[in-house]
Amino acid sequence: MQRRKIHMLVLASGFLAGGMMFGSSNAEAGATAEMLANTCAGCHGTNGQSGGPAMPTISGMPAEYMNSIMAAFKSGERPSTIMGRIAKGYDAKETALIAKFFAKQAWKSAESAPQSKNRTLINPKLASTGGKLVKKAKCGKCHEDDGMTQDEDTPRMAGQWVDYLLFKMQDLKNEHLAIPQPKKMAKRINKLSAFELEAIAHFYASKK
Amino acid sequence: MSKLTRRSFVKLAGGAAAVGLAAGGAPAIANSHKHHVIVIGGGYGGAIAAKYIRMADSSIMVTLIEQNQYYYSCPLSNWVVAGFRNLNVQKWGYDGLKGHGVNVVHEKATKIDPVSKTVTIASGKTFKYNRLVVSPGISFRGIEGYDESATHMMPHAWKAGPQTTQLAKQLKAMKNGDPFIMVAPPNPFRCPPGPYERASLVAHYLKKHKPKSKVLILDPKDKFSKFGLFTGGWKKLYGYGTDNSMIEWVPGGEGGKVTRVDAKSMKVYTDLDEFSSSCINVIPAQKANMIAESAGLTDDSGWCPVNLETFESKLHAGVYVIGDASAANGLPKSGYAANSEGKVCAAAVVASLRGKPVPTPSYVNTCYSMISPDYGISVAAVYKFDPAKPEKVHSVSGGLSPSDAPDFIRKQEAMYNESWYQSIMSDTFG
Repeated sequence: MQRRKIHMLVLASGFLAGGMMFGSSNAEAGATAEMLANTCAGCHGTNGQSGGPAMPTISGMPAEYMNSIMAAFKSGERPSTIMGRIAKGYDAKETALIAKFFAKQAWKSAESAPQSKNRTLINPKLASTGGKLVKKAKCGKCHEDDGMTQDEDTPRMAGQWVDYLLFKMQDLKNEHLAIPQPKKMAKRINKLSAFELEAIAHFYASKK
Repeated sequence: MSKLTRRSFVKLAGGAAAVGLAAGGAPAIANSHKHHVIVIGGGYGGAIAAKYIRMADSSIMVTLIEQNQYYYSCPLSNWVVAGFRNLNVQKWGYDGLKGHGVNVVHEKATKIDPVSKTVTIASGKTFKYNRLVVSPGISFRGIEGYDESATHMMPHAWKAGPQTTQLAKQLKAMKNGDPFIMVAPPNPFRCPPGPYERASLVAHYLKKHKPKSKVLILDPKDKFSKFGLFTGGWKKLYGYGTDNSMIEWVPGGEGGKVTRVDAKSMKVYTDLDEFSSSCINVIPAQKANMIAESAGLTDDSGWCPVNLETFESKLHAGVYVIGDASAANGLPKSGYAANSEGKVCAAAVVASLRGKPVPTPSYVNTCYSMISPDYGISVAAVYKFDPAKPEKVHSVSGGLSPSDAPDFIRKQEAMYNESWYQSIMSDTFG
């Protein structure tokens, strides 16, 4: 308790010194949701609408889902190349602000992103094959309305980047990564071939 | 009137056009906009600042002064040098920013007067501002013998565009067996891992097309960014450390510092040695762009000291400096850092025009480098500002790709690099 008091005193005096040098500072208030979320936009696009085909669009993502994913990145439960390193930089309060910010943004399909110059275009023939496979694999049991539905534990897939969807499904199948996923889903994904996953990616990407 | 020569007519017409600009610009500030913010430089920092100020408050008039019609991104331009990417993929225009209501003036800013709060452009027109954001990038410090004409013989390719193409051409034309010589810059400089990514990708090209050649890096430094990851990748892919290595790195401590170049004979000199080749890439020491220096925004270091909470200059009130030109202690001189600085600065500018307290900043850097087209590595960090230690921003998390990552992770990071680029460009110019 005492330690905490001292810490607060140090912070307060630091704030005063800063305030004297630079005019009125707001540091004790913490960064706003917008300030925090804007740091994500370099990779996930303005307001979370990604311009890069391997980066997911996160605009409109339910806050509960983002909070749980960020916590999983942070703990390492969900493996990642870079998100683990970044997620550790935000405390739970900051992550919640970020999640709230993106939840408020309108979803826009990946294809409508500002001119991305290097991406896989949706192939209607593959998409229609994918539609049949999705039915057979019963993906729609959780990913309802052709992947349109999203809630606290299901991400939206309809209108996402083809490339991102494919890479993530490949990751889910990759036993070295051991990404946490429902048992039934792991079973179904494992049965699908590389070609079938590609077709499914095209199917979900084609839904708006 | 009849005595009007063609030339004087053109002059008059030009004058009229300038007046037209003034009529369309300056009075509009007074009439329909409360405040006018000028941004100089339309790259990773300036374009973002302009866009995010408009996104935060569309009542603010924003004018972006950028001499070029198109911007060529430095990040990923090393791929162009190594011959597996077209320069057109690096090219971006300003229509997206215009869509956000930014006035774009394609002229060179020639003078900043922080006292009268005006910016003058090449045609002589002067703009008045309430706040000025300067994101001008870098200028080079001299190396003996490296003058304007030498930049064509020994391209730096450290500003993307024709220089990139020039170096790519020379690499392609180089004789199998000649070394690709790179003169690396001293700290601090734009894009710390950039020279070593370039060396990697050139080695990848040589391995395929000119197997008798190698990359020779002459470096004044004894260490560099992502050192372990680069040298680890070089060992794996290019035989680094063996007699047949495709990359040889001569650090400062072993005489790597180049003191003089001679473009006519295509030679570079260190204290003890001379090296020659038909393909030499000279990346000189750097400082903030001349426009910042002539505006009195730089200190003895050659860079622009700024308040890291806002990016306002410590030397001139109302002027903010972002991107590579700023002395943003704790942040690297990278594209992503410039993007982050642009957003922190935009929020600070808007708050200051509204008379609100300084917003608490948050910054991120995410930076990928390629060791081959299938081998990507990264560094990332989240930074905070501590008012008790205002001289430096400090990272609260981050780090490098693991040194022992399997091949499929390296491949994924290579893929993410391309997407990083597409996304940050859509954030900047979309």
